[in-house]
Amino acid sequence: MERKALITRSMVAMILLSIAMVFSPAVNSLPGGIGGDTIQSAGCNCHNSFPSSDVIASLEGLPEEYNVSETYPIVVSFTGGPPEAGVNAGGFNLWSSGGEFSVIDATVQARSPGEVTHTEVGNDYREWSLEWTAPSHGRDVDFILHVNSVNGDDGNGGGLDEWNRLDLTVAGSLGPGLEQADPYKVLGTLIIISVILLAATILYGFYRVNPDNFDWEHLAPWIVDWLTSTDHKKVGTLYFVASLFFLGIGGIMAMMIRIQLAAPGLNFISQDQYNQFFTLHGTTMIFLAAMPMINGFANWIVPLQIGAPDLALPRINALSFWLQPFAALLIFTGVFTGQGADTGWTGYAPYVVSEGAHTGVTMWVAGQIMLVASSTLTGINFLTTMAVMRAEGMGWMQMPLFTWSILVANLMLFLSIPAFGVGLIQVYLDRTVSTAFYDIGAGGDPLLWSHLFWYFGHPEVYVVIVPAFGVISEVLATSARRSVFGYRSMVYAMAGIGIVSFIVYGHHMFTSGMSPSLRFVTMLTTMLVAVPTGIKIFNWLKTMHGGSLVYRTHTLWALGFLVTFTLGGISGMFFPSMAMDVHLHETYFVVAHFHYVLVGGTVFGFFSAIYYWYPKMTGRMMDERLGTLHFLTAFVSYNGIFWPMHRLGVVGMARRQHTYFITTEDFNHLPEWAADWNLFISVSAFLFFFSNFIMIANMLISLVRGQKAPADPWGGWSFEWMTSSPPPTPSFGRFDGEKWHDLPVLRDANEHIANEPGAFASWFNRLMVPENEEEVGH
Amino acid sequence: MGLITPLYDMLWKEYLIWSLLVGGFTFGWLYHHTFFYRSEEGIDNNVDNLEVGVFPVHYENLKLEVAWTILPFFLIVYLAYISWEPLDNIWSAANAEDGYFGDECLAGEASNLYWDDSDGVYKADCYHVIGITGFQWSWEFDCYNLEEDVCAHGVVNIEGNDKPHLMLKANSAYLTRMTSTDVTHAPWFVSHGVKEDIHAGKISSQWVLADDVEDFLLICTEYCGDNHAYMIAGISIHA
Amino acid sequence: MNDHDDHYHHIEPWGPHDWGHGAPHNSFSPFFLSLGVAVFLFAFAQAWEYGTYNPGHIPAILVGLGIIGFSMFIWWRQDISFDGSYEPLSTGTPFRKIEIRKVSVWVFLMSEMMVFTSLFSTYMRYRLGISNCNTVFERGMFDPVTNPTGWQEGVAVTCFEPASHLIASSWWHLAPGAINTFALIISSFTVVQALRYAKMPDLDHDVRTKKVFRYLASTWALAIIFLTLKMVEWFVGFYVPEIHLGPIHIHEHDIISLVNEGYTINADHYQHHSYVDHDTGAHMVADIQVSASLFYVTTGTHGAHVAGGIIGLSYMTYKAWKGLYTPLNAVSIEYFGLYWHFVDLIWVLVFPFFYLY
Repeated sequence: MERKALITRSMVAMILLSIAMVFSPAVNSLPGGIGGDTIQSAGCNCHNSFPSSDVIASLEGLPEEYNVSETYPIVVSFTGGPPEAGVNAGGFNLWSSGGEFSVIDATVQARSPGEVTHTEVGNDYREWSLEWTAPSHGRDVDFILHVNSVNGDDGNGGGLDEWNRLDLTVAGSLGPGLEQADPYKVLGTLIIISVILLAATILYGFYRVNPDNFDWEHLAPWIVDWLTSTDHKKVGTLYFVASLFFLGIGGIMAMMIRIQLAAPGLNFISQDQYNQFFTLHGTTMIFLAAMPMINGFANWIVPLQIGAPDLALPRINALSFWLQPFAALLIFTGVFTGQGADTGWTGYAPYVVSEGAHTGVTMWVAGQIMLVASSTLTGINFLTTMAVMRAEGMGWMQMPLFTWSILVANLMLFLSIPAFGVGLIQVYLDRTVSTAFYDIGAGGDPLLWSHLFWYFGHPEVYVVIVPAFGVISEVLATSARRSVFGYRSMVYAMAGIGIVSFIVYGHHMFTSGMSPSLRFVTMLTTMLVAVPTGIKIFNWLKTMHGGSLVYRTHTLWALGFLVTFTLGGISGMFFPSMAMDVHLHETYFVVAHFHYVLVGGTVFGFFSAIYYWYPKMTGRMMDERLGTLHFLTAFVSYNGIFWPMHRLGVVGMARRQHTYFITTEDFNHLPEWAADWNLFISVSAFLFFFSNFIMIANMLISLVRGQKAPADPWGGWSFEWMTSSPPPTPSFGRFDGEKWHDLPVLRDANEHIANEPGAFASWFNRLMVPENEEEVGH
Repeated sequence: MGLITPLYDMLWKEYLIWSLLVGGFTFGWLYHHTFFYRSEEGIDNNVDNLEVGVFPVHYENLKLEVAWTILPFFLIVYLAYISWEPLDNIWSAANAEDGYFGDECLAGEASNLYWDDSDGVYKADCYHVIGITGFQWSWEFDCYNLEEDVCAHGVVNIEGNDKPHLMLKANSAYLTRMTSTDVTHAPWFVSHGVKEDIHAGKISSQWVLADDVEDFLLICTEYCGDNHAYMIAGISIHA
Repeated sequence: MNDHDDHYHHIEPWGPHDWGHGAPHNSFSPFFLSLGVAVFLFAFAQAWEYGTYNPGHIPAILVGLGIIGFSMFIWWRQDISFDGSYEPLSTGTPFRKIEIRKVSVWVFLMSEMMVFTSLFSTYMRYRLGISNCNTVFERGMFDPVTNPTGWQEGVAVTCFEPASHLIASSWWHLAPGAINTFALIISSFTVVQALRYAKMPDLDHDVRTKKVFRYLASTWALAIIFLTLKMVEWFVGFYVPEIHLGPIHIHEHDIISLVNEGYTINADHYQHHSYVDHDTGAHMVADIQVSASLFYVTTGTHGAHVAGGIIGLSYMTYKAWKGLYTPLNAVSIEYFGLYWHFVDLIWVLVFPFFYLY
């Protein structure tokens, strides 16, 4: 069978990749010796001489901007240094990054087409003539000239000889029509194209729903309905579309970054632009892609899973969503003026309040304030919904695990995000009305911002990953045709992660100068996170035991999640160990780790969710073959991006750098293979980026042509599989103006256990309003 | 030569071994189950009788669950313990009684830094104090009154640009006193695997244990604005 | 993608809701509220840049506020027909039969708690981390043996100057804050009274309307007094006349506002009248921008909560005046009351930390 073959192949690929990864990262030592023998960066040491600014080198005859393939006569000369002696007066070495030198007399010899030096005869001169033929590629060419002023003694004597160096760059002319494109225009164009595509998709979707009604009279109320709807399913869809859109935008930025880093010393985007792109890449991916993706599914699935007609506060829910696109507008305002935020997503003080940072930072902060408001409202809404609107028979310990994960995530989020909000307001006021919270001169403390930020920032990363745990628990259990192993320990593990998340944030500040005792405490607590996470992974594995694993695309993604998340979890264990962290902090090892948990964890988890719940949301099945192809390409290219980064980080590649330095004769830095791996990463990044369009195409095609989905296509147990696909509005029950009727009731296969509340639950029940109505005060 | 320093190296190796063990165990289990418990195509073998609207039977095993709570916990306690050890050395006190590097060197006194393999720590007779100031976007080194042989600074050309250059003596321990004049920076002595943030108006310090003869780059690892990526310096450690 | 179900009920995104059908209510309010907030935040940042004021952007700020006001109008227009018959009740244990919205207000207050906790931790960081101006001043005073130079004119030292140093220095200066404390506490009482009368089952409708309206209106008035006195204390100052009343003798003097005393967020050369070296006559000038920022932003955040309460109260007072509160929907006064008590409670913390200590 074709599909089976594909699945088997992808499983084999997954295993081969894992094996390959074990072998590829053998960490090499930093190269100890000095390799190569080029003088161009080492300087001249032929006469045991020393560098001196008295010697003034000159290189004449080069144009400011060269014409392609034209030949220029050039003259090398110098003045200064020891007095001219006639014999052994001087020497030179000239290197260029492009074009060819040609020798015109006996004083000069070529070492290679790109490097020339004086001859034995030429040693008696202090001026040499030669020719240079410009390259045909038209890019900038660098020249490095070393001259050596010799005092006439023969050989390596004296130490009185002096040398100096001259660096020149000759601009290339790419010719008319070949100018380098302005990255802003590229980005702007891409965004405009995305918006047009989005609008076209919406129009097409509208058209497909009812081809006969494709006119303004029907379109206008349809659009108004989407703009004003408070139905949790519609808001969820809005979240979902917005998140996919920003996933694309963030991805485009990542691609720009990867082109820039494909080789050392590139200048595809300027440093200024690079700084903006990595800042906005982070902000976009966390706040505008990952969180809305989670909220989209939470909106859709949580009320369905707990058997509620809608969320507790539908209008607030719509407000939570609409704050996001407008916040996104503010966040991106700066980019369109060339002054986008350039602070990194952490926005460390005091740079974030300094006037050296771009003006767009203010807007970036303002946008995030709105996102904080949105997240707080979401948290309130979901916590209330889950606390009060569960179906009859569904105690806390009968809630589906995805709902539990959203509960834990929202509890973490809304208890931590106000700290971030307050910090942002302080920064916003510092940058506008000139308060002095982070003004170092007035006594402001930069570490206060770090504390406020990471007090939020660390729970935030768990907020992003925990819902993916929920998805995997649902998907794996359903696919293995089993109930999830250790439901209760799963819940306790999630709650444990939630609690621990508040006391571990100090590990982001191990090198910040925070007090050592705090660092030590957070080292221990951070290590502790591995315990509940480990429980969850082992429980998932055990869930498959004795099961009957049905391979679907969502199953593949869930297994892929297990692979990548385990790897990300293991690399995470290296950070709390402070002796290693002082080296690994702010390197690509960190980049690799958090992409392994955020992409390999959250994004893979939610890819799984897309394939799992898409039939429920649209009433159409997705194409399994395209899905498997998506998994295969994306999973392989994804590992190609982030696995080599571990190695690069360890050998010294720092994050947030516009470029990187390869070991030269002078100084050790990254080994030469680092450039090759970076190119490999960039290529993989493009593959990964484009492979995700398979999923988009799959979603669009399935929307139109997919098979009709039954109510319960995968055989899950929770309430969302009870309603039709797509569900009606309101999702459950019916309201007669006073009361709800026909709300679902959960039965429990473990009746004997369910009827006895646990010690904690009975204590909690006593605390709450009693069940009989008479005593309920109004 | 080890990866970065012996201090880092011994942890790194220990962690790699445990990572391979944990990873091997997990992946072995994962791949076994994914193959062994596959369903036959087209057969829906509903093992636990999942049914819509019914909370499924509990599938649990207290002993197992406790086991994989306790065992990782022991591993973590062990890892925390071994991570603790080198900290003492990395954050050694700057005096002879509590620290590993003695008191500050007197004029002309040699630091004599060495790796004590039996204790697994660096030790020195005394240490030199040098100053590092970061600003947007370069470094300034200060050798105070140290001899030129022990500490010197100047300018060096790195890939076509003049960058600050710090020359230190091998087998010497240096305590850096660091500050910033504007925003937060962090000097990373890449080959020594140490970095620490520097803040305006505050002094931070770290040990730079120059053991081997080597030339390497110092780079800034706390994002500080436009020219952050080129805020580098050359470090030369001579014999 | 779903068909829109307008066979079920007619979409009224702008107007009053038909609360009886239980299906989702479309509303333009969230869309416009978000737009308004974005416009406001954008224009505000254009109008002030590092303390430089660009008045040309004030109209844009007003547009933003206008849009926010418009969205609130939509919200209330939809809400005013709410008679309480459709008050969603909890179905899940352990909150069964409690109003859902009441639970959400409690959850909301939990996050509000974190907002003020963060502000107070900022306060603690700086209060404990920067030495107090008074201590710095006394340490630097002229002493022939230990400190022969004494204070020098013109050089600003960075130190923490609590606003209480100004405010608690005289009873008159403290008066606005003290009155405000009582105003808020009384307003917490009046809002509970409004709730009590609104809930009373066997009360005549007109009497109820009158009582509820009066209590809500007095809550509103007390809140207005609070903000007014705050503005007086910050910006205006006041005049104390000569009073001879039996044993009480008060001489005529001006109470100068905090801003006029120089206690501002830009005060890098602040000088309190007591910071004069007795021996040399030199003044200590201080950079107190951090302390002033803390004071204005923390009390200002609380003030913003009061202002938000006033906006809500205005609507409720209007609804009470219209006679629309019944025992059935009286519980919505309780939701506001919970918030209002919280704001009151925060003031009880802000007052000692910023006005007394």
